[in-house]
Amino acid sequence: MTINKVEKYRKPIRILHWTHAFSFVILFLTGLVLFIPALGFLAEDGWTRFAHRIVAVIFVVAPVIYSILDPSALVRGLKQAFSWDKDDLSWVKAAPRYYFTGNEKGMPPQGAMNTGQKAWWLIVIIFGVMFAITGMMMWKGTASASISQWLVLIHDISLIVTGTMFLLHIYLVIFHPKMKGSWDAMASGKISVEYAKAHHGKWYNEITKGKGKGS
Amino acid sequence: MAEKAILYDATKCTACRGCQVACKQWNENDEFIPTIQNGVNSTNRGSYENPIDLSPQTWLKMRFTEVEPSGGKLRWLFTRQACMHCTDAGCVRVCPNGSLYHHELGFVAYNKDTCTGCGYCIDACPFSVPRYTRNIITGFAKMDKCTFCTSQGLDRIAEGIEPACVKTCPPKALRYGNRNDLVAEAKSRVQVLKLKGYSGANLYGENELGGLHVMYILEDSPDVYGLPVDPQISGLTAAWQNVVQPVGWAAGGLMVAVLGLNWLVARRAGVNKETK
Amino acid sequence: MTNHWNDIANSDCVMAIGSNPAENHPAAFGHITIAQDRGAKLISIDPRFTRTSAKADVYAPLRSGTDIAFINGMIKYVLDDIDNNPDNYNMTYITEYTNAPYLVNPDYKGPADLEGLFSGYAGVSNEAENSKRKYNKSTWQYQKDATGVPIRDMTLQDPNCVFQLMKKHVARYTPEKVNAVCGTPVATFLEVCHTFAATGQKGKSGTILYAMGTTQHTYGTQNIRSYCLLQLLLANIGIAGGGINAMRGESNVQGSTDHCLLFHILPGYLKVPVDADATLADYLKRITPTSSDPLSLNWWKNTNKYVVSLLKAWYGDNATKDNDFGLHYLPKMESGKDYSHISLFEAMNDGIIKGLMCWGQNPAVGGPNSNQERAAMDKLDWMVVTDLWKTETAEFWKRPDADTANINTEVFLLPAKNSWEKEGSVTNSSRWMQWRYKASDGPGEAEDDLWMTDQLAKRLMKLYAEEGGPSAESITKMDWNYGAGHPDVHAVAKEINGYDLTTGKLMNSFANLTADGSTSSGNWLYCNSYVEPEAEPDAPIPGNRSSRRSLEDGPFNIGLYSRWAWCWPVNRRIIYNRAAVDLDGNPWDEEHPVVKWNPAAGTSGAWQGDVIDGGGLPMNQGGHYPFIMKSDGHSSLFGAGMAEGPLPEHYEPWETPVDNAMSNQTSNPAFKIWHPNEHGTSDKYPIVCSTYRVCEQWQGGQMTRNMPWVIEAQPEAFVEMSEELAAEKNIANGEKVIVESARGKVNVVALVTKRYKPFQMNGKSVHQVGVVWHWGYTGLSTGDSANLLTPHVGDANTMIPEYKAFLVDVKKV
Repeated sequence: MTINKVEKYRKPIRILHWTHAFSFVILFLTGLVLFIPALGFLAEDGWTRFAHRIVAVIFVVAPVIYSILDPSALVRGLKQAFSWDKDDLSWVKAAPRYYFTGNEKGMPPQGAMNTGQKAWWLIVIIFGVMFAITGMMMWKGTASASISQWLVLIHDISLIVTGTMFLLHIYLVIFHPKMKGSWDAMASGKISVEYAKAHHGKWYNEITKGKGKGS
Repeated sequence: MAEKAILYDATKCTACRGCQVACKQWNENDEFIPTIQNGVNSTNRGSYENPIDLSPQTWLKMRFTEVEPSGGKLRWLFTRQACMHCTDAGCVRVCPNGSLYHHELGFVAYNKDTCTGCGYCIDACPFSVPRYTRNIITGFAKMDKCTFCTSQGLDRIAEGIEPACVKTCPPKALRYGNRNDLVAEAKSRVQVLKLKGYSGANLYGENELGGLHVMYILEDSPDVYGLPVDPQISGLTAAWQNVVQPVGWAAGGLMVAVLGLNWLVARRAGVNKETK
Repeated sequence: MTNHWNDIANSDCVMAIGSNPAENHPAAFGHITIAQDRGAKLISIDPRFTRTSAKADVYAPLRSGTDIAFINGMIKYVLDDIDNNPDNYNMTYITEYTNAPYLVNPDYKGPADLEGLFSGYAGVSNEAENSKRKYNKSTWQYQKDATGVPIRDMTLQDPNCVFQLMKKHVARYTPEKVNAVCGTPVATFLEVCHTFAATGQKGKSGTILYAMGTTQHTYGTQNIRSYCLLQLLLANIGIAGGGINAMRGESNVQGSTDHCLLFHILPGYLKVPVDADATLADYLKRITPTSSDPLSLNWWKNTNKYVVSLLKAWYGDNATKDNDFGLHYLPKMESGKDYSHISLFEAMNDGIIKGLMCWGQNPAVGGPNSNQERAAMDKLDWMVVTDLWKTETAEFWKRPDADTANINTEVFLLPAKNSWEKEGSVTNSSRWMQWRYKASDGPGEAEDDLWMTDQLAKRLMKLYAEEGGPSAESITKMDWNYGAGHPDVHAVAKEINGYDLTTGKLMNSFANLTADGSTSSGNWLYCNSYVEPEAEPDAPIPGNRSSRRSLEDGPFNIGLYSRWAWCWPVNRRIIYNRAAVDLDGNPWDEEHPVVKWNPAAGTSGAWQGDVIDGGGLPMNQGGHYPFIMKSDGHSSLFGAGMAEGPLPEHYEPWETPVDNAMSNQTSNPAFKIWHPNEHGTSDKYPIVCSTYRVCEQWQGGQMTRNMPWVIEAQPEAFVEMSEELAAEKNIANGEKVIVESARGKVNVVALVTKRYKPFQMNGKSVHQVGVVWHWGYTGLSTGDSANLLTPHVGDANTMIPEYKAFLVDVKKV
């Protein structure tokens, strides 16, 4: 049986996502060794820092290149991250029930990103920039002791926020029964019409308006 | 075991810098001199004080300060600049993997092999003592500072002998011994100095930061010598250690707990599998 | 040193003048610290505020070269105070132990009467002709009675007695005059006087520590004389914690001086024979002091025994009564001629000296006016340099401005071993002969000095025996036998001690040396140092007293450490110690007795404590006068032997920015002026300059400028100057400047400091700067040598160069 699919993410953005995701994981792990004393032995001799630096370059450069190649995507993405309306509020209210019990009551139709994804996206932007700025300053290594301590502090707070949210992100994609389709969105770029209708109703309506049914 | 300490009597020190050189010699630290083709090209910067700063190769250096209050007598003050071996040591607090630790005799030792080169200790030290040279590209670095002569293979303390700096001091301005004895000795020396007319004489390090293991006898306020009057672990060090780290672990833990719960609850509630 | 290092700890007041022990004697400074712990005061007198000043209770600035005015001012203070408070001083000591009561020839006149000159001067005021720059000393002699004994006035009232002459002499040195000459503020000067004069009390002690800041002047010997006068008036000679202590700049300078480093002496300070000494008898007559006073021991009357024993040690069986014990094998000086460092280099410059052996010395850096001394080396046919490193001297042709095309000197470099790479003894400032052992082999082909000397002697003996030559017997007749292979250092040490030639046993004391050729001693002062094993069985090397290492404090617990090493003479730790007791033999200072007469000991009493000077009974029981090395038995407040006057008088250095505030005679009237054209004047060179060392570097720098750790600590040559001068010249701290004198210029770093202040002398302001002299053009750290600036003039008595006071100008590069 043929399953109708719609394209959720184009190839360039999927490449960016996976590049970023991969580098984040490495950065997260190589950073965590300095944050968790029990893992400190892994940081000996600084090889983790070397890896951290190489990957940090990818982490920072990848979105920059993407933005340069497709500036409109940057504008669109930023707009998306900062467009919030009352549906988002309703989503926040209804989401816990939905994610624990599957009860869709009160869940408003969502755009290309649901409120949760949008929040994650916002976090990625804000703390990604934080990481990049504080990281580069630490790399340069010429700041005074107290500034350096501030840099470490901000870098660490960013780690805590992004790290915990990252756990959530992974869980939802891989383990949460309702979210299996989102994996396909980033893996193949396509999601089923059914999933699109259920999870991104607004967006589905937008992309199908005037085009007839997608196939 | 009784805590050991070094007592530095600035009022007896003549700044001959035998300690500075002996430290380098014993610890096999290279001189910090840019070399030119045919030898050594080093610079006098208009002072007896050289090298200009502590470095990974300079764990101990003497500081020279000329003080001349208007109308008062000129003084030339000499101070030791090296690790103070605090009881409440900022560096030990922030060291991510325990490479910096308190030796059983009280002072701050470290294991250079396990040092990650993160540099947190450098920022956390109230006396600005630890140093490293970081490779700007790779980030490889190893922290160095006074080891109290306990470096592996060069451990004088384990052999029951005093640190190299103490050994070499001609006017006995440096003393090594049980901390309690030295505190008592220093207090009586301070009294003697006060009787001699040094009303500001004081013992620095008896209680600072939980008690230093390098204590100074000074004839004047510590700030005259360029020492912090009331050294403290910085608020950032404390915040980082007491707030951010626990919050981080809590946040991570909480998230894992919530997700675990969700997993259990959502399955048990029989949330429909998405049809493809 | 009259005393010794450890003894400084006994002192009640330590006065460092012409020295900077914290800088240049850092280990010795520990003894001063102990004294300070005991409550002693430290006085630092120096043109600049030094590391020593930083530790001092009293700091007094004085312009370089004005010690005599300062000390004469102190002497005046003491003499005035004696008039008012005689009980605060030891008058018995002054009248009984010094020549204060001696009556001087009534024709004697001093600077107070003769505008800065003494009676008998051959020239006129500020004489330029070298041949007239000297004194006829006939009016400086004592009045003597019919038996030839000097006449004394024990009341010290006779206007011709030394005490009164001295009083008249120093009366001109008021605190205001001291300020006018030295630039020392009057209040500070009086604080020094008050503090140090307090040691004049019985039971109190004060010591003077001096070094090259005192000696390296055209009147350096008189500087020391002024200290002697002060110390004798304060009864500080011979006692524990007292004395005049010369701090040596190298570990073995004392030893090398004892063993005749200097041109005018043989080992043990015996005078060198001159061409006029036709026979041994003539020679001995000339050099042996005599005394008609039965109470004067006049120890130098034994000179004949020491001379003959020395000749026996050197020429062995070839020294016989018939040939004056080989005296004529020795080279003799031309009468009146000078063979000191400056003279030798002048002779090289004039092409008279063709060859130079430079043994552990680096004159290209250390010699005065080193441009000239380096150029003198160009004219040599050959030069041998024995050193640990390729010094500037060894590579003199590599100096920046050398005209290599016209240098034909053949240079040989003999790599030497360091002191820990060979066995032997060194003698420190305390006169302690300490045996050292070899710790490691030297690098490469390095050999020790003894091996080199031995090889040289053996080869020369062979060559002279085979080929002959001028004065061949000086070499061929030597008794040279220290073994066939590597010379036996113990054989040398034993020869220095000396033998009883009839028994072949080592001598136990110079008291037993004879003038008949039956004993030998290479240096009478060292006789008693290396004895038969059974005489010193407990020493690590039995018989070798310098190898002793007992940490027992010794008699009276005053830190004599009498069984640590060995001390000349005969292990006497404090010389002139007979002056430490009263006429009955009881110590002035009961707390720190050096020696003590114990009437209950033995059958008729005995001395206890340190080895007593000269033996015998206390003076009240008929014993001799205390200063046994002086022919009259009394120490000299008045010294007729000096070239420029029997009492120290202030003169300006050869180059000075001011007129002499004391008289019309500007500089010392008796030293030789070599190059009048190189005399800098204050219109072109208005700033006083001094050279000195720093703790981190050493001497000519060979050993430290090749040591990166040390270079790092003190990396570059610098000139220290006041903030006021730097502001005047628009010089920033740390920038390179040029210091220039009439002889040369150096490019060094400006070190601007609060520790130099312009001297305010009676309204006139004078700047002083100081340049460190360790640098040269070879080694790991190079830089200009300060001695490019210094003049080729020396002390009127010793010819030591005037390194410490000359004129320069300083300017931005």
